[in-house]
Amino acid sequence: MSATKTDTAKYVYGVIPGSGASPPPGPGIDDAPVAVIPHGGVAALASDVSGDFLEAGREELLRHSRVLEETMEHSVVLPMRFGVVLPDEETVHQRLLGPYGEELEAQLEAMKGKVEITIKGIYDEAAILREVIAEDRSIAKLREAIQGKPEEATYYQRIELGELIAAALEEKRAAAAPPVIDRLAGLAVDVRVGEPVHERMAVNASFLVERSRLEEFDRVVDQIGAEQAGRIQLKYTGPLPPHSFVELGIGG
Amino acid sequence: MATAMQQQPYRGGSGYVARSSSSGLYDVLELILDKGLVIDVFVRVSLIGIEILTIDARIVIASVDTYLRFAEAVNRLDLMSTETQGLPELMDGITEGGASSKTKGVLQGAKQALFGDEDEEGDEGDEEGEEGSRTKRRTSSTTAKRRRSSSSSSGSSQRRSKSS
Repeated sequence: MSATKTDTAKYVYGVIPGSGASPPPGPGIDDAPVAVIPHGGVAALASDVSGDFLEAGREELLRHSRVLEETMEHSVVLPMRFGVVLPDEETVHQRLLGPYGEELEAQLEAMKGKVEITIKGIYDEAAILREVIAEDRSIAKLREAIQGKPEEATYYQRIELGELIAAALEEKRAAAAPPVIDRLAGLAVDVRVGEPVHERMAVNASFLVERSRLEEFDRVVDQIGAEQAGRIQLKYTGPLPPHSFVELGIGG
Repeated sequence: MATAMQQQPYRGGSGYVARSSSSGLYDVLELILDKGLVIDVFVRVSLIGIEILTIDARIVIASVDTYLRFAEAVNRLDLMSTETQGLPELMDGITEGGASSKTKGVLQGAKQALFGDEDEEGDEGDEEGEEGSRTKRRTSSTTAKRRRSSSSSSGSSQRRSKSS
């Protein structure tokens, strides 16, 4: 749209407090320096990109992530989603910092001292399939019926078998996730539970955690990991800027 | 480069949890693309095949393909042994250290679309691939164990960029 008519545009990484704001040391997308665009109590972190932007690949995604990561070392930061480009600095004021200023300020205040941690858990395939076979007669029987027969002869039975397994996993997931999430949520300020994005995903959740409680949080994650060893592999990512916990309402 | 991770005093002792910081792109792809502040008025950068990635992943979980893979896996399963066979990995790195195969999955397909075409190497050692995702534990022994593709800066991306 019209946002890309000029020679350069502003790629926005995130929003930080307006007072004492300093840009992160490292370069942004296309090696352009990241600058602070202050506006009252808030400021945007932005760099110049070509007006007809933008080869969005690995490098750009990494830079976006790096800029935010560097920033969060010394400041609270509200991350933008990847790919927000405004035509010029003026528009950053007019469409982001101006109309949403108070809201952003309030969210900055709310996010101070907090980080996002994502926890994902994947069932070990062999372990979970063994469980499913042991617990469900119909799955075990269907498996036996199919075994040793040629694939072509058992196409629909195999689909049926797979569907039963998927349903059984869904049931297990529904039972397994809440206790894990509840334990961690007790140590977090907020939690967002995501959809499974993997066939064997048992847990997918983001937690907003006070930095001061991170150590405690980490210990519990490790405890859960040890309890589930061999059954659910936990993956811990963070600390991250609070991607899952920021949102803009309907501003100006 | 100093990172936020280094502020953490406790880096886990159990060895059961795979950790990474945001430097591992694969770990934060979902977040960067799907979460965070956005101003609707302004068009975001178009990423071919990427925006729909999370939705697709959900749909694919309930697909004939998935069912057939489950059936295959359960048929292969030797109930007596502890050998594990892999299903496609959708979330890279999650089963780090596990025995899962790396056949093509949904997210991986999308990632190939994303990383396959232009894969110029970064100038700051962006070597994270699916497993190399810079596992930043303090205890480097476990880190080393987890990294299947370690620090050669192009190993994992080359694997990926066989694209098409």
